[in-house]
Amino acid sequence: MNGINLLLPVVLPILAAIAIPFLLEKKKEAIRPFIIGTVFLNLIINWVTISTLKTRMYHIWTLNDFIDVFLQVDELGILFSLLVSVLWIFTTFYAIGYMEHEKHQERFFAFFIMTLGITNGIAYSGNLFTLYIFYELLTLATYPLVIHSETEEALYSGKKYLIFSFGGATFILLGMILLYTLTTDISFVAGGLPILETIDRDQTLLMIYIIIFLGFGVKAALVPFHSWLAAAMVAPTPVSALLHAVAVVKSGVFALLRVCYYVFGADVVERIEGNVYISVLIVITILLGSLLALHQDHLKKRLAYSTISQLGYILLGIVILNENALLGGILHLINHALIKITLFFCVGAIYVVTHKIYIQEIKGIGRKMPVVMWCFAIASFSLIGVPPSNGFVSKWYLALGALGAAKPFFAALLMLSAFLTAAYLLPIVVTAFFQTADEASETEYTVSKYMTAPIVLLTGVIVLLGLFPNPIVGYIENIVMKLM
Amino acid sequence: MNNLKVFPIIIILLLLLTAFVMPLIKKRKGVFFLSLTTVAATFLLSAGMLRTVNLVGSYFIKVGPYEAPWGIAFHIGYIEALMALLFTGVTLMISWYGVYSIHKDIKEDHIKYYFTLVHILLAALLGVVFTNDLFNGYVFIEAVTLSSCGIIIIKNNKNTSKATFKYLIMSVLGSGLLLMGIAFLYAITGQLNIIAINNELVKVAASKQNIVTISLSLIMVGLGVKSALFPLHTWLPDAHSSAPTTSSALLSSLVLKAPIVFLIKVIYQVYGLEVIRETPIFSILLFLGVAGMILGSVFAIYQKEIKRVIAYSTVAQMGYIFFGIGLGTEMGLMVSLFHVFAHALTKAMLFLCVGSMIEQSGYKYKDEFRGIGKEMPVTLGAFTLGALSMVGIPIFPGFISKWYFSIATINANQYIFLAFILASSLLNAVYYFPIVINGYFGIDNVKGKIYKSKYKPIKEVLPLAVLAIAMVMISGYSSVLLEFFKLGLNIK
Repeated sequence: MNGINLLLPVVLPILAAIAIPFLLEKKKEAIRPFIIGTVFLNLIINWVTISTLKTRMYHIWTLNDFIDVFLQVDELGILFSLLVSVLWIFTTFYAIGYMEHEKHQERFFAFFIMTLGITNGIAYSGNLFTLYIFYELLTLATYPLVIHSETEEALYSGKKYLIFSFGGATFILLGMILLYTLTTDISFVAGGLPILETIDRDQTLLMIYIIIFLGFGVKAALVPFHSWLAAAMVAPTPVSALLHAVAVVKSGVFALLRVCYYVFGADVVERIEGNVYISVLIVITILLGSLLALHQDHLKKRLAYSTISQLGYILLGIVILNENALLGGILHLINHALIKITLFFCVGAIYVVTHKIYIQEIKGIGRKMPVVMWCFAIASFSLIGVPPSNGFVSKWYLALGALGAAKPFFAALLMLSAFLTAAYLLPIVVTAFFQTADEASETEYTVSKYMTAPIVLLTGVIVLLGLFPNPIVGYIENIVMKLM
Repeated sequence: MNNLKVFPIIIILLLLLTAFVMPLIKKRKGVFFLSLTTVAATFLLSAGMLRTVNLVGSYFIKVGPYEAPWGIAFHIGYIEALMALLFTGVTLMISWYGVYSIHKDIKEDHIKYYFTLVHILLAALLGVVFTNDLFNGYVFIEAVTLSSCGIIIIKNNKNTSKATFKYLIMSVLGSGLLLMGIAFLYAITGQLNIIAINNELVKVAASKQNIVTISLSLIMVGLGVKSALFPLHTWLPDAHSSAPTTSSALLSSLVLKAPIVFLIKVIYQVYGLEVIRETPIFSILLFLGVAGMILGSVFAIYQKEIKRVIAYSTVAQMGYIFFGIGLGTEMGLMVSLFHVFAHALTKAMLFLCVGSMIEQSGYKYKDEFRGIGKEMPVTLGAFTLGALSMVGIPIFPGFISKWYFSIATINANQYIFLAFILASSLLNAVYYFPIVINGYFGIDNVKGKIYKSKYKPIKEVLPLAVLAIAMVMISGYSSVLLEFFKLGLNIK
């Protein structure tokens, strides 16, 4: 075993995606079981790979020091890829229910599965260059998903998405080239590259750090590069849910974790004061995201702006540079993924059944679709951070971190933002449950089982993680210990 | 071992001889057969040449009875052998493609003359690359110009006549300047052999500074016209877009590249770095290269005809190559040579893709190609690969060039140009991606389009596939190629 099985989580979904068009010509009805099988197999392979692997590295293509594509397994990567694999299963079921009446299902599922492989690639990337490759591929693979409806608006949003993403990638490339000329090494080492500590060109390093941070910040929806995210809401709901919860924005955040703690290292970032300018942007991101969410009547867009604000929390956890904050950040990465995907699923379910997309249209819907709306309410409370929800746990650690770094301003910011979160999420719940519909309609709304099951299960996971956070907190603590 | 050394002469003779046999053949199939076998043979001979160089190192071989410096000599090293491999290989693929499509572009009874011209063109291109004699190089360049005019005008309509005339005038002007430059050099050195000139020039350069500058600028402008150095590119979009598909591919991927190799020879072997450093030629090339790679792309964005888009993209890509030469470092030069390879393969493929889309659909403007991906998925797929390479997505050669150009720029302490390199690749995305996206997705795309309705049989798209594979291969073997270029350059 020379580690070649590390390739499986990446290659298998991509091969499955390539197989779909061929399958289409033979047996159309086989596509569903095929996709479900692929996502489960992916989870199993991921599990087996990480539990049996001895060599934790596999070089795919080595050209020289820089162009050295290799995969490597470490705890953070495992965490991310497991999160991705699990959520993908939920989304697959949900998507099967959701996409029932949409066109071009095969194309949708082909790119959908392909994105899974690429995201796994991001999780297991062993150096910045490999990460960059998968990052570019992610843009290309998700583009057809964003423009799925092929309307004028969708194409426009897709264009925006491409421009932002490639612009960001160019920044990353620039930063990588500059970094490489300084270090001749860009592989990920827990705690940062040792060679960087001996380089005393602080100004240059600062410039490189900021360039790379902004580059990845595009995908992590850092203000002022956030506007593609709201525009990308034209995509079908399973895609929006995935874009928001795991695949795209979290890849950006994950990449930033890698850059901060595996390339530069906390000490170097602290020395070059890399986070002074960045944290200004992050504060703006948190506040602006919440405030913009307040103004949106479009349900999906409201959630989109909420994502921007929540991503700000995670980034804040990254840049405060102490154990608690980082722990909170990584924990919030997971919690937000779970919560946001549930919220999106609920909104998508409302749309599929009733074709309603605005908040004022959903008066009284809580009585018609009790299960979905109850789940929505529970997820909302978790996102606000009401104890004993999982959102509370991550925010607790974030606040501890902020206070530990003697930055009470950040803690106050968290409180304010939690208040704003309540202000934009609770009206949805209130409207759904306590207002009566303008016109009484007798139609019963039935939601497909493919859609309700993932929603209910995910809500269960959210509740469980809120009540028993210790195993996962322990696991993350383990990661954080190695980085600080 | 000496027997192996005559390969280059055999290659050129073989091509010229078969060129004149071509008109005698009556049947179209016979022409195709003769042409393909000949070019394939030259490809194998080029591979043999590379092997010979690998065994014995670079060598000179005299053409005709006299020794250099009186007689003409060829110089064969890694660069020459690799270029021969590239030129013959790409021509082979393009001719193969032409077998199925050339009769749609030109008249039936012109086909044999077309392949005559292609053979002369290839022989002349290889001559330019091999030669170690300035005047001989000039003669070969003239032959390139005339035969490439021939393969454009053979389509015989109003547009091609106009474009060819423009090309001919610009190009002959370039040739005139080149000849004048060579004459100036001859006046002060009394030599035409590249090595002999260099030996003389080192002695007299200091006292004849003006003549050195004049001759150099004449030669540079002359060769610049031939290889579309911005702003001398104005003939290129017309000529490349109106020519038959196979000609466009040949012109864009090969005809522009031979003068580049010649220019490198002139700079590094005729003048030598010591003399060159006294002149501003490197900075001029650097600035014109950057201007080309930005403005070429900007012009491409505003083009409506799909072939003109690709043609302007060539201007931008040539900008990269001149930029690399202009850096004046070994690294820059190596990357430029690599980019010659990358661009030749990619652009040949792109032109063939676009050509077959035009041929099958009858459209011409890029907006009309909406939904073509539904009808011709494989062709547009190959086009997409080319586009991704141009934009610089990793694992494609375009990315490798972009990366090494950046490193070379940093090593040459020209940080400011990094921004231009990266911006230029983003500009490429602006005009390549809409074609791909409109081809595959978009409103009213699917209406009335039938899946694979304009599909070409597998044997007809095979040359495209080979070019695509070769393109990805060279990025995989880029370090080997660069190593060869380094050995071949051997800069003191």
